Amino acid sequence: MQLLEAQHVTRVFGGGVLNKRQTVAVDDVSLLITEDKPTITAIAGESGSGKTTLARLLLGMIQPSQGTIRFRGQVLADMSRQDRRNFRRQVQAIFQDPFEVYNPFYKVDQVLTTPIRKFKLANSPAEAERRIEESLQMAGLRPEETLGRYPHQLSGGQRQRIMVARALLLNPKIILADEPVSMVDASLRATILESLLKLKRELGISLVYITHDLTTAYQVSENIYVLYRGSVAEVGSVDKVIKEPLHPYTQLLVRSIPLPDPDLHWGSEGDLERKNQTAKGVGSEQRGCKFADRCPFVMPECRQSPPPLYRTNDDRAVACFLYKENEEISGQAMAETLAA
Amino acid sequence: MTVEAISGNIKEQSSLGANRVLEVKDLRISYETPRGLVRAVSGVSFFLKRGERLGLVGESGSGKSTTALSLMRLLGPPAIIEGGQVLLEGKDLLKLSEEQMRRARFADIALIPQGAMNSLNPVMKVGEQLRDTMRAHAFNEAQSALNARIEDVLDWVDLTSDIMDAYPHELSGGMKQRVCIAMAILLRPKVIIADEPTSALDVVVQRQVMETLRRVQNDIDASVILVGHDMGLMAQCVDRIGVMYGGKLVEVSPVRDIFKNPQHPYTQMLIASLPNLESKEVFQGIPGLTPSLLNPPSGCMFHPRCPQIMAHCEVDVPTLNEIKPDRWVACHLYDDKVA
Ligand SMILES: Nc1ncnc2c1ncn2[C@@H]1O[C@H](COP(=O)(O)OP(=O)(O)OP(=O)(O)O)[C@@H](O)[C@H]1O
Ligand SMILES: Nc1ncnc2c1ncn2[C@@H]1O[C@H](COP(=O)(O)OP(=O)(O)OP(=O)(O)O)[C@@H](O)[C@H]1O
Ligand SMILES: [Mg+2]
Ligand SMILES: [Mg+2]
Repeated sequence: MQLLEAQHVTRVFGGGVLNKRQTVAVDDVSLLITEDKPTITAIAGESGSGKTTLARLLLGMIQPSQGTIRFRGQVLADMSRQDRRNFRRQVQAIFQDPFEVYNPFYKVDQVLTTPIRKFKLANSPAEAERRIEESLQMAGLRPEETLGRYPHQLSGGQRQRIMVARALLLNPKIILADEPVSMVDASLRATILESLLKLKRELGISLVYITHDLTTAYQVSENIYVLYRGSVAEVGSVDKVIKEPLHPYTQLLVRSIPLPDPDLHWGSEGDLERKNQTAKGVGSEQRGCKFADRCPFVMPECRQSPPPLYRTNDDRAVACFLYKENEEISGQAMAETLAA
Repeated sequence: MTVEAISGNIKEQSSLGANRVLEVKDLRISYETPRGLVRAVSGVSFFLKRGERLGLVGESGSGKSTTALSLMRLLGPPAIIEGGQVLLEGKDLLKLSEEQMRRARFADIALIPQGAMNSLNPVMKVGEQLRDTMRAHAFNEAQSALNARIEDVLDWVDLTSDIMDAYPHELSGGMKQRVCIAMAILLRPKVIIADEPTSALDVVVQRQVMETLRRVQNDIDASVILVGHDMGLMAQCVDRIGVMYGGKLVEVSPVRDIFKNPQHPYTQMLIASLPNLESKEVFQGIPGLTPSLLNPPSGCMFHPRCPQIMAHCEVDVPTLNEIKPDRWVACHLYDDKVA
C-alpha cells in the first residue's frame, strides 16, 4: 500500500507581478514510500537544489505547480479535515533550521506539549510528562535542563535535538527530517541516527533523510535521490550511488566529502567555479542539462534538451546522456521500482 | 596542579611565545537560570598562534559558542563572566570599556556567528549591511570610497559586486555565508572566529567557503578559530584542535595527533564514533548523557561515561597539562607524565 507518494511534482516560485523572476525549485520529481516496507530514503544535493521545497511539498505546506502528492492514495489537496488531521499526525517533520522554527517568546516545552494536546497522546498529565521525558532522552537531552527554557537558552545542537524529540514523541508512520543532525557532534549524531534506525526496525517508521552528509546518508539509508537545481540527477540504491557514482555531479559531490584524515587531501580539481553567478542569472530559460556548464564531459546534445533518466542498473537511474545506451525510465517508474 | 599553577605554566611559555596573538586564561562563564547557575565554561585556557587555524570541537552544549561569543564580549545577561582573561596581543579584552570594545570588534577580532547566514537582515540589501558595518567604525568616507572598499572585499570572497543590490533571500546559502565572511574580514581583523561556518552547505560549497576563508586569512595575515562538529572539515582545515567537554578543554593537540593518536578518553571515543564509507549501520555513540552543567559531576566531568575510569577520577578534577611537547590533556591517566 502506498504511504506517501509524489508523482512528477514541479514547484515554481515567482513569476508573479511582484517577483517576475521564476525559480523552478523542484522540477518533475517522483518519490514513493510504501507502507509494507519501511525505508530510509536520503535526499542530497547542492544548497538551493530544492530539498527543503520538496519536503514542504510532501508535508502539504505548499502546493505543487504541477503533479500530485498523495497520502495513502488520497491527493493531499482534496483531503477532508478529518483526513488532514490524521495526515498531520502520521507525517512528521524535523525542520532544517532550529533557529527559525521556535517562537522566541514561548518556552521550548510548548513545542512538545502542543502536539500531545492536539493529538490527545496522553491520558493524564503524568503520562504526558513521562512521554516528553522519554523522547527528550532518546534525543540525548536532559529533561530537567531542557524544559522550562526559552529557545535562546539552548545551544544550536540542543535546539535541533528538541525537534528530533518532537518527531519521536508523535510516533508517526513517516518522518521527514531536514538536516536533523547537522549541528551535533559525531558521537551524538551516531546516537540519534541509531535511534532513527531503531524506529524503522522496531516500529516500522519510514524516514526521508535530507542531508549534506553523504557518509551518514550512506550508513542509514537504502535509497538516495541526488538533486541538482530541482531535478533528479541520480537516484538508486545508496550502495551504487555513493560507492560508484555515475552522474558527473554525484561524482563531484562524493569527491568533495571532507575525510576525517589529515593525511588525505580534500579533493580539489579546480572545478570550483570561482566568481559565482548571482541567483539572478539562474533561470528557467536554460534548455539542456542543468549541469552542462560545469560538466567536464559536456557534449553538444547536453545543450539541446534535458536528459531523461537512463536505467543503468536494476536499482539505479541517471539523468545524463553519457548513459544513453541504457533504457529510459520515467521518474515515477523508477520510484516504484525502488519501493518494491 | 592548581589553576594558578596552570596559568603560571602558560606565563612561563609566553616568553617563548611572542607569536601568540591570542591567549585565553582560565575563562569562567555561567548563565543564571531559575534553577541555578549553568556552568557553561569552567576554566578554559588556550592560546592561538599568529597565522594559525585552531579548531574547537566537542559535545553539543559543551560551551564552544559561549566561549566564542565571550571572546567578542557579545554575551549579555543572564551570562556572567566570572573570571579569566582574554589577551589579544597582550591587551585584556575583558577589561576594555564598552566603547573600546566596540572599536575592537571587527577591527581586531571578528566573529562569524553560528547560523550567521540567517542573521543577515532580510529587508536590507547586502551592500547596505556591509556599509553599515564600516560606518559603525567611523569610516566617514564618501559613499563611493566605501563602495570601492567593499567591492575589494567581495572580490576576496569571490562574489561579484552586483550582489550588493541583492536581498539575502535572493542568494544561495553558500553566497550568504561568503557575505558573512566578507563582513568579518572587512576591517582586516587579527583574529577571525567562525562558528560552524559551513554546517548548512553542501560539500562542494563547503570546500569553496573554506578555501576562501583560508586564502583571505593568508592575505590579511589573520588567525582563525574554527568552531564546528564536522571532523572531516577540521581534518582538512586546521592546524591544531581543542576538544571541549562539559565546559572544559580536555585536550589540545596538533590535528594529526587528534586523529591518529588521541589521548583523552573522550577524544578517543569521539574519533571512534566518526562514520566512514566502509561500514554500514554501525554506530558508536558514547553511552550516557551529556553532563549536567547545573549539578556537574564531582572530579572529572567525563568520569560517569569514561571506560577507563580510576578511583580518584570521581574526586580529583584533572587539569590541562602539557604531557608531551604541544600536547595538552586533562586526564588522570597521564598524571605520571606531569612534572
Ligand atoms: N518561498 C520562496 N520564494 C522564492 N524562492 C524560493 C522560496 N523557497 C525556496 N526558493 C528557491 O527555491 C530554490 C530551492 O530552495 P530550497 O530551500 O528547497 O533548497 P535546499 O535544497 O533545501 O537548499 P539548502 O541545502 O541550502 O537547504 C532556491 O533557489 C530558493 O532560492
Ligand atoms: N541563555 C542561556 N541560559 C542558560 N543556559 C544557557 C544559555 N545559553 C546557553 N546555555 C547553556 O550553556 C551550555 C553551552 O552552550 P553553547 O551554546 O556554548 O554550546 P555549544 O558547545 O556551542 O553547543 P553546540 O555545539 O550545540 O552549538 C549549554 O548547555 C546551553 O544549554
Ligand atoms: Mg534546505
Ligand atoms: Mg554552538
